[in-house]
Amino acid sequence: MTASAQILIVEDDEPTRRSVVVNLSAHGYSLEEAAGGADALRRWDARRPDLVILDLGLPDIDGPAVIRRIRREATTPILILSARGEERDKVTALESGADDYVTKPFGMAELRARIGALLRRAGGSSVDADGIVTLGAVRLDAARRTATVGGAPVELTPREYELLKVLLSHPGRLLTRGRLLRAVWGTAYSEEGHYLHVYVSRLRRKLAAADPSGQTRDLIVAEPGVGYRIREVDAARS
Amino acid sequence: MDFPSLRRVGMDALGPATRALMVGGAVLTVGTAVVAALEAPPISISDASIVYLVPVVIAGALFGTWAAIGTAVGAFALYDFLFIEPLRTLAIEDPREWLELLLFLFIAVAIGRLTARESERAREAARRAQESQALFAISRMLATTPSLEGAAPAVVERLARDATMDRIWIALETPTKPRILADTHADRPPPGATTVWTLARTRGELPAQWVRVHVGQIRGGRSVVTASALFRVKMEADGEVLGYLWALRARHTGMPAREHTRLLALAADQLALAVRREQLAGAATEAEVARRSEALKTALLDSVSHDFRTPLGSIRATAGSLADPAIGWTTDETRRAGLTIEAQVDRLSRFVTNLLDASRIESGALRAELELFPVPELVEPVVTRLRPTANGRSLRVELDADLPPVRVDPVLFDHVLTNLLENALRHTPDAAPIRIGARSPDPACVDVVVEDGGPGVSPSTFPRLFDKFSAPARRDEGGRRGLGLGLSVVRGLVEAMGGEARAVRSDLGGLAVHISLVAGAEPPADADDS
Repeated sequence: MTASAQILIVEDDEPTRRSVVVNLSAHGYSLEEAAGGADALRRWDARRPDLVILDLGLPDIDGPAVIRRIRREATTPILILSARGEERDKVTALESGADDYVTKPFGMAELRARIGALLRRAGGSSVDADGIVTLGAVRLDAARRTATVGGAPVELTPREYELLKVLLSHPGRLLTRGRLLRAVWGTAYSEEGHYLHVYVSRLRRKLAAADPSGQTRDLIVAEPGVGYRIREVDAARS
Repeated sequence: MDFPSLRRVGMDALGPATRALMVGGAVLTVGTAVVAALEAPPISISDASIVYLVPVVIAGALFGTWAAIGTAVGAFALYDFLFIEPLRTLAIEDPREWLELLLFLFIAVAIGRLTARESERAREAARRAQESQALFAISRMLATTPSLEGAAPAVVERLARDATMDRIWIALETPTKPRILADTHADRPPPGATTVWTLARTRGELPAQWVRVHVGQIRGGRSVVTASALFRVKMEADGEVLGYLWALRARHTGMPAREHTRLLALAADQLALAVRREQLAGAATEAEVARRSEALKTALLDSVSHDFRTPLGSIRATAGSLADPAIGWTTDETRRAGLTIEAQVDRLSRFVTNLLDASRIESGALRAELELFPVPELVEPVVTRLRPTANGRSLRVELDADLPPVRVDPVLFDHVLTNLLENALRHTPDAAPIRIGARSPDPACVDVVVEDGGPGVSPSTFPRLFDKFSAPARRDEGGRRGLGLGLSVVRGLVEAMGGEARAVRSDLGGLAVHISLVAGAEPPADADDS
């Protein structure tokens, strides 16, 4: 299924681009290459790939500008490649519409895992017709506003429930702190990061307490200084 | 010898000659009465003139040689006039009496002079003692107080007292306007005058002289004094005028006494030396800073060339072997080679992060974006990330329940904990346990500790452990060198977040690094939570 997906990689460093192309091709993806932003947008218009890997430090066009241009036309997953120590740039890119990032130097296994997660998400929402969100052992019933782990109920406050729902609705996608705060607490709270961290911590504790198997232990992954993502349970097992 | 009671009745206001006359007259009168009493019945001593030696000694002791001679001559005349026949005249009948009286005069003058000289010497000795005491006190103040700035106020107070000045201040020369180093009356601006008594000193033995100098513009201060005289002594070292020691006292008290002048002059010399010393010390500190920064750069280059070249060498060798057609790689070998390269790149990557952090700490460009975080949120991701590299070693995480959230920059904290854990993993034998703990000794603070059961470092090196490129990091077995940056980065980052880092001996046997962080309050529970 996803193995035949077409990926556009935009990266000006030739050796990095080559390595990624060789590796991903070997894993069954078909690849399209671009060395700059203008070239990338031309290829995007011509081929409409299933996923875009975008280096933020392009010589010609500002990374976020490329992201916004793509977002105007489609919800195609965008994975950012970024250099270390640029948390602000990562946040800007994510807020512009990118879905996730990997930091250079990155491992190929990690890159493939992220690509896999993003492509699965793009393949369809994990919310079924009855409004039930399922991810591994965790189930959210949107109609009843209840959560269970492996069948065991978890007592959540309304905010905790909302937070879990927002996170689970975007598996594989890195959600910035600001985005989570706005979604769960409202725009007035977009700077109150500590609410988020404390609630995530409480949520983790409650999920862990309801799940002695330890499967949910690392369900919510923190990206320091940027935000949170839901670890793809299935991807991690494969 | 002194007559404080006489001082108190205002003797000081009179000139020394008048005083001598008054005291001389008084003691002579008393002496005469005593002589009269002795020569009259019932005692009837034939010649009591010897009693007059007492007034002579007193006059000599109090007022010097001339007073003694004057008193001797006065006593001679008085005795002749009052007690030698014919009475009430200066004539003398008996030539023997003449001889006796002249003998008396001679002895009186001799004793008077001796007394006067002795007493002058005693006074001079007392003055010298006081002067050297004052000088000693001032030298001590200058020598024992760490900075001149700190010592100067006490020095001026002492000088004002010992040199009997109303006010003393020290003005240091600066390229713009004089800087007042200390002032006994710092609350008022230093006064000025159009004429200033300046101490003129020669290199030789000649005593210093106060010279009245008419200064064109008002020197020393803004307000002009008229009822007081203004004195200044140049503070000079190595031929350079460093400033002036200023003194002020009421005009009617006259010029400063010789010992006071000497005290001011010597104090100015001491101060000049102290100023010079401080200037030199400042220059030496700058030189030391430059030297250390140079040493740091050398150490940095050394560390960089080691820390960077080692993994680079390994990557290069592995990649070269992979590219070599002569080697028949099995799939498994290729995979292992790839993993080696990945591990070395991770190591390099860590060094780059530390170098960037170190340079940001150094340049002050590091800005922590502090937010409240629950401690497990901070600790667990790092442990999860590093556990695979721990080769199955014991990595215990013991965080107290109900820790308050801490105010940190999550990215910086991540670097801190990663450094500490990697340090512990790399520098301890595989059997040594590693523990990460957190507790809250008081509600305002959370203490995070990373400790190990390794061989540890010597306690004497604890204070230097966080220095850049400190030696203990290179001490361990296996000849490992380089690094040295990790712990200094830890401290820099922790301090940037308002915390503190310190090293102690761990109960596990090895090194324990404690990070104390500022704690905050939990946000309120949901308003709509049931």
